[in-house]
Amino acid sequence: MSSRKIRVLMSKPGIDGHWRGGIVVSRAIRDAGMELIFGGFQNAKQIVEAAIQEDVDVLGLSIHSGAHFAYTKQVIDLLKEKGVFNDILILVGGVIPAQDFPKLKEMGVANIYGPGSMTNDIVEFIKTHLKK
Amino acid sequence: MTNNDVIESLISRFKKNDKIALARLITIVENEPEKASKIFKHFENIKHDSYIIGLTGSPGVGKSTLTGAIAQKMLDEGKTVGIISVDPTSPFSGGAFLGDRVRMTNICLHPNVFMRSLASRGYKGGISRAVFDITMLYEAFGMDIIIIETVGVGQAEFDVYNLVYTVVVILVPGYGDVIQMQKAGIIEIGDIYDVNKKDLGGEDIAVQIEMMLDDTIFQSGYRPPVVLTDAISGEGIDELLQCIWDHKEHVELLGIKEKKKNRFKYKIKELIFTKVEKLIMENFVDENEVNNIVKNALEDGKFNIYSSIHKIFDKITLEIKKNS
Ligand code: B12
Ligand SMILES: Nc1nc2c(ncn2[C@@H]2O[C@H](COP(=O)(O)OP(=O)(O)OP(=O)(O)O)[C@@H](O)[C@H]2O)c(=O)[nH]1
Ligand SMILES: [Mg+2]
Repeated sequence: MSSRKIRVLMSKPGIDGHWRGGIVVSRAIRDAGMELIFGGFQNAKQIVEAAIQEDVDVLGLSIHSGAHFAYTKQVIDLLKEKGVFNDILILVGGVIPAQDFPKLKEMGVANIYGPGSMTNDIVEFIKTHLKK
Repeated sequence: MTNNDVIESLISRFKKNDKIALARLITIVENEPEKASKIFKHFENIKHDSYIIGLTGSPGVGKSTLTGAIAQKMLDEGKTVGIISVDPTSPFSGGAFLGDRVRMTNICLHPNVFMRSLASRGYKGGISRAVFDITMLYEAFGMDIIIIETVGVGQAEFDVYNLVYTVVVILVPGYGDVIQMQKAGIIEIGDIYDVNKKDLGGEDIAVQIEMMLDDTIFQSGYRPPVVLTDAISGEGIDELLQCIWDHKEHVELLGIKEKKKNRFKYKIKELIFTKVEKLIMENFVDENEVNNIVKNALEDGKFNIYSSIHKIFDKITLEIKKNS
């Protein structure tokens, strides 16, 4: 399946105005030869519906509001309910304190990227950790 | 599960109206076109009943926002709607930034809509190779309406014309003057002309289009209407929708069969061309030979490219004659 393209959905749960990080990472993903679907501001239902219809391999959540546990839980619960959680790699980025990483991972997030993360690392992680 | 089992199981879920299965089948036809025959053998007796509409125009004219707005109205009317939006693939990285869905957040949770973003993946003409196959899947899924949004096009990318029954060409204020309207290509293919962003002006463009249409002879008696819209406030959307239904009525009166045949012919020819190109490139065209021709022409100044290319042409012709 050489022509298979990696598809990534980038979403910003909630409506805080910090869209910059999500855009920077999206561009890096585009430049790495993947197809990036920019979801923009979406609620959990919209995110999961988009992930399903776009049949993405990766779901990225960009969160700077401090509400990362609440949003991530809503999204993951819905993905599980729809039966697609096991197919999609979930990444969370934005302003996330390091002490919250373990709990997010326990919830099912594959990796977390706070301020200052290198986009190369993100791209590399995606390429080596796809679930399907 | 073997590959075959995967497809079989997806098909049976698809037939139960499972959107996840539809999404997966789209991925397969997009990535592995050689599997299309395995998929479509299950849909041989489907009726090709969806009404297919194309929205095209330059980058940023508001195609996606308009798609969201008209799809909303169609859903309100109780119709099921399948959307395909194409954005360009980078010729450098092969990646793409697909930014059409973000303009349609208003409709994405409606149970009767399905929306898929596609990258053009090197296909020319403003669409992607998979568009036809996805319209077939949407038809099999029972969509009443299919909307195809092209990439932001220039003057000469109008393949969508071959795949749809109604073409909406979208322009914006500042498009140009009377000379622009005389050029061949995109400006010729509209069944409806929509001047979007009317909040920024556009009356003059509408007049220019009307003047262009004044100078055109319409054998079928149908003259494309010109509408002004503001996709954000929703002004003019009802009128645009009415124009779409009017054109649909006209097409159906005239016989939609011709348009359906045209769609299939376009795809069949494309499949043949793709196959032939692949066969010839793989079997007869040697990269070294091409490099040699370049070297002869450019560095040695011995032969021009036209005198050397014959060797390759002759080889291909000979081989084809031998086998026929
Ligand atoms: C610029 C900025 C703004 C700009 C945003 C501009 C824009 N369009 O994005 C403006 C001025 C609008 C703004 C406003 C506010 N801000 Co502000 N802002 C910042 C600041 C200084 C930098 C953010 C930034 O753009 N960084 C550059 C980008 C590239 O980095 P990044 O977003 O972190 O992204 C990187 C990683 O996080 C990761 N990443 C991000 N998303 C994703 C997604 C995925 C999938 C992956 C894999 C990785 C990933 O990769 C990126 C590359 O390394 C931060 C402080 C900081 N140092 O982070 C505060 C900060 C985020 N803001 C903060 C606050 C509180 C606010 C306001 C509420 C302030 C106020 N009281 O008015 C308002 C909110 C406004 C609103 N409507 O919601 C707080 C958030 C606190 C928290 N969550 O606990 C911060 C942390 C400042 C602070 N120390 O208090 N802000
Ligand atoms: N002022 C104004 N802005 C509009 C209108 N319609 C769309 N826009 C804005 O124009 C920008 C582009 O809109 P899109 O719908 O993404 O345009 P598009 O033609 O799909 O763009 P591409 O797919 O990139 O070619 C967005 O910022 C929209 O909000 C309108 O009627 N008036
Ligand atoms: Mg668009």
